[in-house]
Amino acid sequence: MRQINAIAVAIFLVLVVVLFAFTPRNTQMMQARFLGVIAPLLKNGSSLQKQIVGFREGMKKLDELDAENKELRIELSALKATDQTLQGLAAENNQLRRALQYRERSTFKLVPARIIARDASTWWSTIKVDKGSNDGVLPDQPVLTEEGLVGKTTVVAGNACTVLLICDENCGVAATVEGTMERGMVHGTRTSTAAAPDLVLEFLSKLADLKPGQNVFSSGLGGVFPAGVLVGKVKRFDVQPLQGIATVVPAVDLSSIEDVFIVTGGGK
Amino acid sequence: MIYIYLILAEFFSLAFQEYLPPLPYGARVLLLPLVFFYAALAVPPPGMLFLAFTGGFMWDALIATQMVDGTLEISLGWSIILFAVLGAIMNGFRPLFQRGHGWEMHCLLSGPLISIFVLSEYLMITFRRGGFLFPKIIWLRIGWEGLAAMIVSPFVFLVLHWLALSFGLIPPREEREASLE
Repeated sequence: MRQINAIAVAIFLVLVVVLFAFTPRNTQMMQARFLGVIAPLLKNGSSLQKQIVGFREGMKKLDELDAENKELRIELSALKATDQTLQGLAAENNQLRRALQYRERSTFKLVPARIIARDASTWWSTIKVDKGSNDGVLPDQPVLTEEGLVGKTTVVAGNACTVLLICDENCGVAATVEGTMERGMVHGTRTSTAAAPDLVLEFLSKLADLKPGQNVFSSGLGGVFPAGVLVGKVKRFDVQPLQGIATVVPAVDLSSIEDVFIVTGGGK
Repeated sequence: MIYIYLILAEFFSLAFQEYLPPLPYGARVLLLPLVFFYAALAVPPPGMLFLAFTGGFMWDALIATQMVDGTLEISLGWSIILFAVLGAIMNGFRPLFQRGHGWEMHCLLSGPLISIFVLSEYLMITFRRGGFLFPKIIWLRIGWEGLAAMIVSPFVFLVLHWLALSFGLIPPREEREASLE
């Protein structure tokens, strides 16, 4: 081996050993910095992709857009009114909880975010969204849509963050099944992808008589996901020697979502 | 200059890769390793190690290193080692690249090397998560990624090589051949 090659190998190994010595926190900070660098490129790419898709799908007629706009305005007003009512109810609920010396429940703040990149890896199911720490997002915050749970934030840069989808094996959600006392843990499988999500609900009783179509909600245990968010529907229930396992179809179509909400400030 | 060019190529390929649609069985087109394999043919061993470091670092920073319950599933740096090992195999065929048979070598080796890369990643997560699971879909996914890499590699090679030659970043074939003698 030539001397210069030997020196190069030595320097290379030293640098790799230095990286191996990084603590998880330092690694996450480094990942966040790199995500911050690449995020503008991903955002521009995402906008370009949307423009191309929009061009291909064609422009909607003006009157169609006008009608849609009117409908959306009415819907927005209704939602604002509902939101005000619910805020009043939340305040009243907290007041009553205080009176009963219960822990006060904080209200959620939803940060709307747009997906700028979908998972490009083989074994991990993640997406990147265009909101980060500048918008109050922190790691391990729940991400959802109006249809149900999407996942949780992992690496958070200033202007973007990575979301681990619920179809990933590493994303576990404590869950309950509608109409039963059954509690378990929902997570993806190793072969699961956003396009072909494969969720299982484990640690159920063998006697649990679950029927296809029953809703599965987050139970709030574990501290990351709030209680009562729809995770999916039971597809099948199997009894195994030690436990019951249900196959769950996610409530959200993870391969086609474009916008999500990140639950900040009180999500935990 | 060639190194700046190749680092930029690695960076942009990583971003572009995010927009490529998934293939059957959840397989993906992995552009960054393809760009790195071109680099492994185009530069000498110390340069290849440098680009393995930058490419592997980007791969780990954006894709492979996942935080699970406060711990890292795969430590930052494993992809760098994988890139270096696979790059060393590709770099061994550099004399053929210098004789003008670069795209053939890039095409033939990219498929198996990317399949090895993806399999290695799977083995690492299997080791970490437990459960030695190897259903058919895993092999199909690994195979499809290798096949996709072989299909895409001539285009990646031609674009990178044409740009490198146009900007005078690598010498023309005659000079490269002469340097071998």
